[in-house]
Amino acid sequence: MNMKKMTAMLCLGAIVAIAGQSVFAAEKQAAPKAEAADKAAAKSPESSGDNAAAEAAIAAAESARKKAASVDGEWRDTGKMIKKAQAALKAGDSAKAIKLAKKAEKQGKLGYEQAQAQQTLKMPSYLKY
Amino acid sequence: MINMSTRLTSIAAAAAIVLGGTLSISTAVAVDAKVLEEGKTLAFKRKDGNCLACHVIEGGEAAGNIGPPLMMMKIRYPDKAVLRAQIWDSSVRNAETAMPLFGKYGILSESDLDKVVEYIHTL
Amino acid sequence: MKNLPGKLLLLSVVAAIAATAQAASEQPTPERDKEVFENRFKERFPDVAREEFANGVYAIDPIGRESWEAIEEFPPYELFIDDGKEMWDAPFANGKTYKDCFADGPGIAHKYPHWDKEQGMVMTLPLALNQCRESQGEKPLKYKKGSINNILSYIAMESRGEVTNVVIPEDDPRALDAYEKGKKFYYTRRGQLNFACAACHVQNPGMKIRSDMLSPALGQTTHFPVYRSKWGTIGTLHRRFTGCNKQVRAKPFKAQGEEYRNLEYFLTYMSNGLTLNGPGARK
Repeated sequence: MNMKKMTAMLCLGAIVAIAGQSVFAAEKQAAPKAEAADKAAAKSPESSGDNAAAEAAIAAAESARKKAASVDGEWRDTGKMIKKAQAALKAGDSAKAIKLAKKAEKQGKLGYEQAQAQQTLKMPSYLKY
Repeated sequence: MINMSTRLTSIAAAAAIVLGGTLSISTAVAVDAKVLEEGKTLAFKRKDGNCLACHVIEGGEAAGNIGPPLMMMKIRYPDKAVLRAQIWDSSVRNAETAMPLFGKYGILSESDLDKVVEYIHTL
Repeated sequence: MKNLPGKLLLLSVVAAIAATAQAASEQPTPERDKEVFENRFKERFPDVAREEFANGVYAIDPIGRESWEAIEEFPPYELFIDDGKEMWDAPFANGKTYKDCFADGPGIAHKYPHWDKEQGMVMTLPLALNQCRESQGEKPLKYKKGSINNILSYIAMESRGEVTNVVIPEDDPRALDAYEKGKKFYYTRRGQLNFACAACHVQNPGMKIRSDMLSPALGQTTHFPVYRSKWGTIGTLHRRFTGCNKQVRAKPFKAQGEEYRNLEYFLTYMSNGLTLNGPGARK
């Protein structure tokens, strides 16, 4: 990152802070980056013709969904999102397809992690054994 | 004065985050009435925050009581960042929480979550 | 002498470690699970008699109970019982009837779910009904909505007064395994909203989600099939499971698939001793 960019960002940070916007939490990092990527994808001029990227994103989403399902961790809307992504691709809107597929892929990963984290049953503390 | 020191803290936080190379600002919205109104709408809507499912909020109807009433939030959460972290993933503080992980599990987008935090913090 | 307290401490530490190790290596028995489970509800609702839990949320919600009792005066499930009786009596294309499969029917709801050693799986009443139909050359019925609920309503009505008594036979370890799987299902968080069944019905029964009171897990299986005002019709237990899973934004499992049958096995076992009172009516 060059100095100019950094200064610009610092200013932006200060402006936002002065405006009273809350700024925080390390957890925030990952998601906004993803959002930014989505936005970039949506705005990029060649993206509407980028069918290959959309197909790849849908394939990645589908494999994440299947992986979650393999441990009984699939979420309700993941499959629907993938179907919508496929429809968007068919309709020629690959940017929308990528956005939906990325969301679905994230859900697949989270559902898998959620199930894996509970592989061994831990009885809740409100049950007094 | 309270406002001023909050701002100063925010500036420091922003600077620290930038210097740490992990700038995390999505949209530069001012906490004006519009943001609070949007935050409130998101907090009340069943498909979004649905805070009322479990929390009593002044002005909200048919509220549940699984979680504590949302009031005196500035006293309970002097640091807005802590409130945000709690809504983002409440299981960090309590593994047996009955509260959904609104940020971690993507129930609310990061920018919507910001608005909800702004609104909840006024309660 | 100086060392005695130290030795005692050491000894008790060793004993504690041993006890923990033992506890960790041994799963609690289903009997123990049930005891702890029931204690949870006793502790939370000390004034509610055990038998009352067969009435679901109305055991703990006096306001809801009033309208429920009014509804029960003209039960919305009555027509389904009548249609179910017709189904029970009507001969299949081959001239036989359900009675040829279920000699001790129609009051047989309390015999399900049970461990079917031959098929190596939990047998539920809807599944048994369809196996009967297929053995008689009939098409199976759908498991969530539709006419299966008619015959289930009739059988439930004829079984009223029987007592829940799920057995986990010790001569087949697969039965205990099925129970354990059902138990794990009940306590596992799932879906985007990250709820386990237990989060609402064991951790928070009696609390309100919006204006609806969460029902206690104890007694949840006694009244199926159930007429739900929300559905505007009657539905099976597995339809209800499906609805719960969807509400927490998890992908539901197949009705009468292994997951839900094991879940039914565990959940019904937890209500052992409670009187069957289906079909039921709920909000």
